[in-house]
Amino acid sequence: MRRLYLQLYLTVVASLIVFALAAGYLWRVLVHVAPPPQAAELAGEIAQGALPPPDAPREAQQAALDRLSAGGRVQIALYAPDGTRIAQVGPQLLGPGEARHRAALPWGGRRVWTLELPDGRWIAARLPRRERPPLAPLGLVATLGLLAIAVAVGAYPVVRRATRRLERLKSSVEALGAGDLAARVKVEGRDEVGALAASFNRSAERIEGLVTAHKTLLANASHELRSPLARIRMAVEMLRTEARPELRAGIERDIAELDALVDEILLASRLDAVPTLEPREDVDLLALAAEECARVDAALEGDQLMVRGNARLLRRMIRNLLENARRHGAGSAIEVALRKTADKVELRVCDRGPGVPEVERERIFEPFYRPGGAREREGGVGLGLALVRQIARRHGGEARCLARAGGGSCFEVLLPA
Amino acid sequence: MTDRILIIEDDARLAAMVGEYLAESGFRVTAHETAADGLAALKREPFDALILDLMLPDRDGLAVCGEIRAASDIPILMLTARGEATDRVVGLELGADDYLPKPFNPRELLARLRAILRRRKGAGPANGLRFGRLEIDRGARVVRVDGEERALTSHQFDLLVALAEHAGRVLSREQLMDLLRGEALEAFDRSIDVHISRIRSAIEDDPKRPRRIITVRGAGYVFARSQDADGADR
Repeated sequence: MRRLYLQLYLTVVASLIVFALAAGYLWRVLVHVAPPPQAAELAGEIAQGALPPPDAPREAQQAALDRLSAGGRVQIALYAPDGTRIAQVGPQLLGPGEARHRAALPWGGRRVWTLELPDGRWIAARLPRRERPPLAPLGLVATLGLLAIAVAVGAYPVVRRATRRLERLKSSVEALGAGDLAARVKVEGRDEVGALAASFNRSAERIEGLVTAHKTLLANASHELRSPLARIRMAVEMLRTEARPELRAGIERDIAELDALVDEILLASRLDAVPTLEPREDVDLLALAAEECARVDAALEGDQLMVRGNARLLRRMIRNLLENARRHGAGSAIEVALRKTADKVELRVCDRGPGVPEVERERIFEPFYRPGGAREREGGVGLGLALVRQIARRHGGEARCLARAGGGSCFEVLLPA
Repeated sequence: MTDRILIIEDDARLAAMVGEYLAESGFRVTAHETAADGLAALKREPFDALILDLMLPDRDGLAVCGEIRAASDIPILMLTARGEATDRVVGLELGADDYLPKPFNPRELLARLRAILRRRKGAGPANGLRFGRLEIDRGARVVRVDGEERALTSHQFDLLVALAEHAGRVLSREQLMDLLRGEALEAFDRSIDVHISRIRSAIEDDPKRPRRIITVRGAGYVFARSQDADGADR
């Protein structure tokens, strides 16, 4: 992860470095500005004094220029006011007529200085390669360095504090996302980060309130639904009528069905709300399957194997698969197979019912999905298969519906071994 | 002597039916709808057991349970909506003797009520195992279904206990033999299947379609962890 505080801090430090380099460069360039105009005038008068008058012969002018050139160390040329060259030491410095347009500024790669004499003549000179322009004085360098260090040191805590608050906010947001609804963050500062923290707290407050209300509603709904169920169950027991035992058995089945539905709605909403799978234990899946198979007279074959998971949820998963096979298997025998492969545990619940059309093999895992053409009496798949998939995924596995060779369908659950 | 039962349950119609049902079995039942009334009655009169609903209009049943337990050792049977597995633990931690989810089988209510009454009157701490309507009392070496004793030989009882103590696990015949080592072993050897079949006749509602001791083809036997109306919650 690229840390925000590092980015901000490195930006500050990089800006400082750029600033220092720019300052150094400007120092080098600007400190060597042209001498003031008076200096040029003075230099012109001195040069004129050292040179023969304009009307002296060319040889005399050349001789004076040779003298001025300090033994050829300085390249120098003398031009008439009209730009024609009068004398020269060293290579040609300027093109004809160029001299009068040159200010006393560096020209070309090497510095060619021009100077107008009071009598209108021009001198162009190129200094020998000289020592580099002086570096900035030590005091200035030290001051700049200290300033840079001070800013660097001063910026660190400011930047770190701002981003620390963001990091704390981030961990709170993550805690809330992971299901800790009581997660709040301390509001520090009155800037945007502080405002963000405050609005996070408000949101968390609201979410917690909503979830609590939702849970209370579900718990109350569960209680309210079960009270009449309990009364009916009680009343059926007390009827003591032996006249129509099948009616009584039917009512008992209906009560159990309604009870299971209430259970499933509660379980589904709890699985949605709670990300963790507690408690986890070693579950003898063959034993669990055997128990559930005995309830519906399903045939079971398989290997004895243990999986790590929530026994209650795994039982619910197997029960729902069997219940689904019983309901939609058209009375055919239900066969359950439990197998261990290299890295997976494979549970298959198969029937010889009408099977599931390919287009519906995914959709039947949707809550309360009703297959096309299903009659009212048969009902939809309810929540059963949706819970099967939810529980399989909760255990790091997957559930799917397959066609069975020879007719019928197989529901397969793969769990990590 | 008739046992006096106090019911604290906000569903008055259910309480009335439970009262009538228990009265038929020889209990004297008093019902109250609120925790306040129930607690007042408990202070006023002597009761042998309490049936307490988890959700009461004026107070949380768990808190009421804790309060009663702090002052008295009256047997408490909690009634609650099924589904919150933690309630069971909390209820028992707070001192409830047993727990029954709604909607319950009235016969199971009766069996559990009798069991907690027996436990209180009987020989101290419970040494029993309970699976729905089935109760195995290891101390008294008695097995009951719906509170009625069922006859088993001593060997069969040991075999049943071995199975029940490993409920939810497939046990092979060899593992069962190992578990019974030290007991009178000669009675077992190859006849283990016969003994299982005898136990089934004693404790299964329909021995031909066993729900408590289940055969796993090629692997052995499993004693069901979830029996009767226990559902998927145990």
